[in-house]
Amino acid sequence: MLLDDALVTLNRAFGVLRRRNVPIEGLALHPSGTAGVSRLTFVLKADAATADRVAQQFHKMIGVRSVMVLANEDSTTEAKR
Amino acid sequence: MSEMLSGAEILCRALVDAGVEVIFGYPGGAIMPFYHALPDHPQLRHILVRHEQAAAHAADGYARASGRVGVCVATSGPGATNLVTGLAAAHMDNSPVVAITGQVSRPMIGRDAFQETDIIGITLPITKQNYQVQDVTELADVVAEAMAVALEGRPGPVLIDVPKDVQNQKIEWHPPQKPRHPRAGARGQSLTPGASPGSLEDGVRAAARLIKGAERPLIMAGHGVILAEAYAEVQALAEKTGIPVITTLLGISGFPDGHALHLGMPGMHGEVHVNRAIQHADVIIGIGLRFDDRVTGNTASFAPQARIIHIELDRAEIGKNVPVAVGIVGDARDVTRRLVAAVEPRRCERWLEHIRGFVRPRTEAFRGDLSPETILASIYEASHGECTIVTDVGQHQMWVAKLYRYERPNTHITSGGLGAMGFAVPAAMGVHLARPNGTVWAISGDGGFQMNMAEMATMVQEGLPVKMAVFNNGYLGMVRQWQQFFHEKRYSCTPIWSPDYVKLAAAYGIPGYRVKQASELADVVGRANAEAGPALVEFVIEQEANVYPMIPPGGSLSEPIEAEPAAAAGH
Repeated sequence: MLLDDALVTLNRAFGVLRRRNVPIEGLALHPSGTAGVSRLTFVLKADAATADRVAQQFHKMIGVRSVMVLANEDSTTEAKR
Repeated sequence: MSEMLSGAEILCRALVDAGVEVIFGYPGGAIMPFYHALPDHPQLRHILVRHEQAAAHAADGYARASGRVGVCVATSGPGATNLVTGLAAAHMDNSPVVAITGQVSRPMIGRDAFQETDIIGITLPITKQNYQVQDVTELADVVAEAMAVALEGRPGPVLIDVPKDVQNQKIEWHPPQKPRHPRAGARGQSLTPGASPGSLEDGVRAAARLIKGAERPLIMAGHGVILAEAYAEVQALAEKTGIPVITTLLGISGFPDGHALHLGMPGMHGEVHVNRAIQHADVIIGIGLRFDDRVTGNTASFAPQARIIHIELDRAEIGKNVPVAVGIVGDARDVTRRLVAAVEPRRCERWLEHIRGFVRPRTEAFRGDLSPETILASIYEASHGECTIVTDVGQHQMWVAKLYRYERPNTHITSGGLGAMGFAVPAAMGVHLARPNGTVWAISGDGGFQMNMAEMATMVQEGLPVKMAVFNNGYLGMVRQWQQFFHEKRYSCTPIWSPDYVKLAAAYGIPGYRVKQASELADVVGRANAEAGPALVEFVIEQEANVYPMIPPGGSLSEPIEAEPAAAAGH
């Protein structure tokens, strides 16, 4: 997920994970390469529909620029690059 | 020509520019520069409440009745935290409210200063967005953006926290720029690929196909119908297809109660025939609702035969609580209008006959014949069915939802999602300011009324002619009912003492009445309704009356409690 690099936006994003009781296995925050934008990656063990519902909660958050749901195969592919 | 303005003056101007006319608030240390500037802006009418919670509920009531943003103001610390319940209520019920809070000066933030609290952190999960203004140059933009964010898409509350030194900072005034963020509503749609199975048109076509093949279809209309003002469209859909309409608690008054196709309210206290209809339906068209647990009961057994068409503005709601066959993301009015065009005319006479067979008449005895039904009928009569009813939370809320005859759009206002006791009295003040030429009745129980009854002083000082009805049964009635059903009749801490409400009203200079017999209703309610100013009527009702039917929490809509457990067991 790409989102505004502001503490309050990050706080809000983490708040969504906590409040919606999302089963998180891993969490990483990095600079995105674009000034003012951070990349937040989190891993959850869930079916595609659940993952999509979590993504939808982020889509409507102000300060979130894009959300992508990567299935296991996608992330493996990305890791190989 | 430019002029030098303080942050506080800019704040006032930005509110005036946004079209704000009424502010509900309470002054205090960190918001004093704003209150110093306020008298120079007579376009902004300030209503001085007696507790900040009431300011937030009043702004919420104003917003729901007007469709415009309701604004509340409080100081830092306790002022800000007192807003929290009102903001949470607005958040759960999608009401566009903007809250402005004072904050300690920037150099003091983070030092546990006097009346400092992290209101941004506190309100993160109960606002659509919140801002702490760090520089006065951003202030006007932030106000304009906050007003837009509160209204657009799925509405909700927004908070702006303004440190005192920012309110005092002076800069050259420039009119507000365009909001920095794109509109949230537009974002919500453009960024959600796969929102519907295919395009909007595909979704509407798929829905029309399902409706054509359905034998037992139902329309469930929620708050989205009222927010989108989709009244004519929903009625057109029902009349073109003959499909009966259910209105959820927040959907009540979105469809006329007296319409031949109106069934009633579903869910925990829904009538038996309404819930049975859901359990037998083969297609449900849900318009602008979230299939809340109070509506569905146990979702595993909810509408087991139905394929659900879900029309909803917020993509995140589709499939969240119940599985959906066709999800259509969009404005309830726009999508329903398209659906009306796409469906073929049909009738549902056999299905309606089937549902009529589910109807369960009930006979209950009430002390002095003072039943909720007769009380509500007297309010309907006195106001010629033209008032707005604001309810609190509890038994009376369910009685009003089920028994009052709503014929006019958006005349039922209640705290649904949060279920905040104390809502009715302050929210009704907001409703009056939004509809100054109409009558507003605030109906509460004796518990909820005592939470915010101090607002009677606000009504007197500000000239707000709210009519207050207090259903006094001497109990926190809904909790007592649960204790009776599920806690072995152990009435722990639910008997509640009340003051003499007639004398209390008199102390505020408000006419007060007490009704103990149904025979007194027409006269007393008529007189209270005709008062030029506020008036209070206490109804001394049956102490242990229950709201029937009731689906036990987590239970199935198929298994209602229809009578007292003891009576049901044959005793």
